[in-house]
Amino acid sequence: MTTKERILRRIADARMPAEAYPAFDFTPQRFEDRTAEFIRQTEAAGGRAVLADGAPLDELIRQLYPDARRIASRLAEVKSATIDPDATDDARTLCDVDLGVVEGLLAVAENGAVWIRQNIRHKALYFGATALLIVVPREAVVDTMLDAVGHPAFADADFDYGCFMSGPSKTADIEQALVFGAHGPISTTVVLR
Amino acid sequence: MSTHSRAAARFVADAARTAWHDGALWTVRAKRDRMAQSVPEWEALRAASSAIKRHTLSHLGHYLELFERNASANGMQVHWAADADEMNRIVGEIVAAHGGRNLIKSKSMLSEECGLTPYLLARGVDAVESDLGERIMQLLHRPPSHIVLPAIAVKREEVGELFERVWHTAAGNSDPAYLTHEARRHLRGKFLGADIAMTGVNFAIAEAGAFAVCTNEGNADLGTSFPDLHIAIMGLEKVIPDYRALAVFTRLLARSATGQPVTTYTSLYRRPAAGKQIHVVIVDNGRTESLANEAHRNMLKCLRCGACMNTCPVYRRSGGATYSYFIPGPLGINLGMLRSPERYHGNVSACSLCYSCSEVCPAKIDLGEQIYAWRQELDGEGLADARKKLAVKAMNFAMRAPGRFYGAIALGRFAGRLPHGVLNNRLNPWYGSGRDMPRFAPRTFDALWKAGLVRKACGTSDDSNPEKHRQTP
Amino acid sequence: MKVGLFIPCYINAVYPEVGEASYRLLASLGLDVDYPTGQTCCGQPMANAGFERDARPLAERMERLFAAYDYVVGPSASCVVFVKEGYPRLLDGYREHACIDARIYEICEFVHDVVRPAKLGACFPHKVSLHNSCHGVRKLGLSTPGELNVPYRSKLRDLLEMVDGVEVCEPSRRDECCGFGGMFSAEENAVSIRMGRDKLRDHLATGAEYITGADSSCLMHMQGIIDHDRLPIRTLHIVQILASNL
Repeated sequence: MTTKERILRRIADARMPAEAYPAFDFTPQRFEDRTAEFIRQTEAAGGRAVLADGAPLDELIRQLYPDARRIASRLAEVKSATIDPDATDDARTLCDVDLGVVEGLLAVAENGAVWIRQNIRHKALYFGATALLIVVPREAVVDTMLDAVGHPAFADADFDYGCFMSGPSKTADIEQALVFGAHGPISTTVVLR
Repeated sequence: MSTHSRAAARFVADAARTAWHDGALWTVRAKRDRMAQSVPEWEALRAASSAIKRHTLSHLGHYLELFERNASANGMQVHWAADADEMNRIVGEIVAAHGGRNLIKSKSMLSEECGLTPYLLARGVDAVESDLGERIMQLLHRPPSHIVLPAIAVKREEVGELFERVWHTAAGNSDPAYLTHEARRHLRGKFLGADIAMTGVNFAIAEAGAFAVCTNEGNADLGTSFPDLHIAIMGLEKVIPDYRALAVFTRLLARSATGQPVTTYTSLYRRPAAGKQIHVVIVDNGRTESLANEAHRNMLKCLRCGACMNTCPVYRRSGGATYSYFIPGPLGINLGMLRSPERYHGNVSACSLCYSCSEVCPAKIDLGEQIYAWRQELDGEGLADARKKLAVKAMNFAMRAPGRFYGAIALGRFAGRLPHGVLNNRLNPWYGSGRDMPRFAPRTFDALWKAGLVRKACGTSDDSNPEKHRQTP
Repeated sequence: MKVGLFIPCYINAVYPEVGEASYRLLASLGLDVDYPTGQTCCGQPMANAGFERDARPLAERMERLFAAYDYVVGPSASCVVFVKEGYPRLLDGYREHACIDARIYEICEFVHDVVRPAKLGACFPHKVSLHNSCHGVRKLGLSTPGELNVPYRSKLRDLLEMVDGVEVCEPSRRDECCGFGGMFSAEENAVSIRMGRDKLRDHLATGAEYITGADSSCLMHMQGIIDHDRLPIRTLHIVQILASNL
């Protein structure tokens, strides 16, 4: 008998009576203004979220990250990009770029998370960049995680890796003092447009 | 005295540190409460979470096989391990077949449970913890004292001294932001030089053949960004049916754990990137035995959020190191007993039966009730504390007959007239470190009643009017 | 309606005045109250220590003592909880014969839910800090546990609001355990006393003169520390307030 068979046998022998998958008897939280809630929650998570009123991304990048020199992005409209992150074979070279500009597909109001489905060659950019700017369609703000996983942008997608990301990397492991930039980005901005 | 109570007495002796530890964790509990209050359907979510876990456990074989099938179809390699030894061996073999000796780890309680890090270190693999708290504990050569906040019992000055010693940080600088960024700088080298990444698994989604890893630091994600081998280890209870279940759990997990609406990163690994490998090791190590234990199988619902530790008034005032099992608090008391009553029954005393743990648990595990149940099982296993048993037997003997009970009280009343220090000293476990004995009343209620003094004092026999105060329904 | 007064062992021995106040309160509400003599203990201390089965003769004793009453009412939340939860496990054919658990009430719960008086007539012109005991809160629902997201209710507060002159406050950690826990208080005495000191500090911070609650066991534990540390506060069972000046 293989280990797998042995484990499955032991599970069967435990004879736990079958229980049905529960019917959800509640409606998830609904926000009057999802976008405002998303912005509020993003800020609470240590990030920043802005509504872009048709302003070109490059202008926003200059405003928000004026000191960024090494900018990595695959987005065609980011003319200020200095690095094509897909051009390198070595993901390590994406560490410590000043700014990564990437796409997100959904924004979750209840927790300030953005669903990023990896569409660049190296996910290292999401975590190695010192700052991250995530561009999300402004109509793609949903109320809760339950709505997010039911949204076509999540549910129907084929992906290798994806991440719900809420604010910058953080830790409170030393005496519960909150510090941003534990390992990943020290700063994140979500641009809703 | 239990192993926990002896160790806890030493912890409590440092009053300032105890106050800090209690206060820091109470703050986390309070943040958790605010989060719970901010979600109107919070209690319904807890109920759903508990029911989904119950459903999954009752179809565990089905979901594990479904996960294996879908994950394999996605290009992952799935392994099964019956126990810690087999898991370690499988991981060792994967590492050896791949080559390389620099392994970057993100936090996994299963790794602690199975002693994986020492196993790898002994085989020349440099397994480096990348979660800041875990790294601090690894450098201190001490086990984590909390499952979510591993270094919660370590003071900033100790971290400063540690980093000064190993990384030559500025002498005397114990500013958390400075130390965190120094750790970031030094660990970057480990991330960039890693050949192998290892993570735990928070949720394995059967329907999708994907698994979720939740962190705040992004260490799991950064760790898996460079090496072409990612090994993920999971206890077999981590499997869940689908993404809807994932949504329920992610709505509860961080709110319960740290009082955040979600962890910074909830990452989904579904398919290895081109030219890379993902191996998932599904581990039993006693879990199927727990499943067969009807009275205690609820423990398998645990999301590992640590809320039961943060709320536990005993844990907050005694710290994780006072528990003999590697997981402390209400969760650890229970898991230790499931693992081995002989080895870990010394933790069962660490509970005042306040039941706060049962109320905070996002999977509605009846943690406090199960600790009570374990206490009942100790005597049958011959593990009950002899002194306690004697005390209970004596108490029981007295209580069975009113004559003996009231006789004992008379004796106690006499003892109460002795000089203060005769009763109130350290030999008396009630007195302990400063709690005076209660004094018996001159007459028991029973005696007062028999003497007619209770009724007489009230004058109830004649002036009472039954309808005087009654509300008309 | 015949009410049998259930007086737990330590109230009988240490706090007979709590028993007297219980009687006074119930009698003032016009109830037919009796005390079956020869009561000892419900068995909770043994059970919490891990010897629940040993409490069986005590459970049988309680059943005999209270067989003749419509209600069994006691001034101790944790003892009442033990009878309600533990006796079904201890007594054979529990559901069939006259069982206690459908008839037993903690006294505040009884007055609040069953008697429902329009007024009490008590007067207690003092500031009190409410001690929400764990079993009262989390097992009996005397108030809403702080962990849950459900509307806040407190039967103890509701009753105290009917007392003239009393000012009610609560410690900042509303229902944190005081560290009594039965055998826990002796077996883990260092942590137990530390918990008690912390709880007392929280009660003292309210500026109250009295700590009051529905469990004399918690109060006894805290009073022991008050006596030792000579703290400027006193414990008083809630029935003594509800029955004051009656």
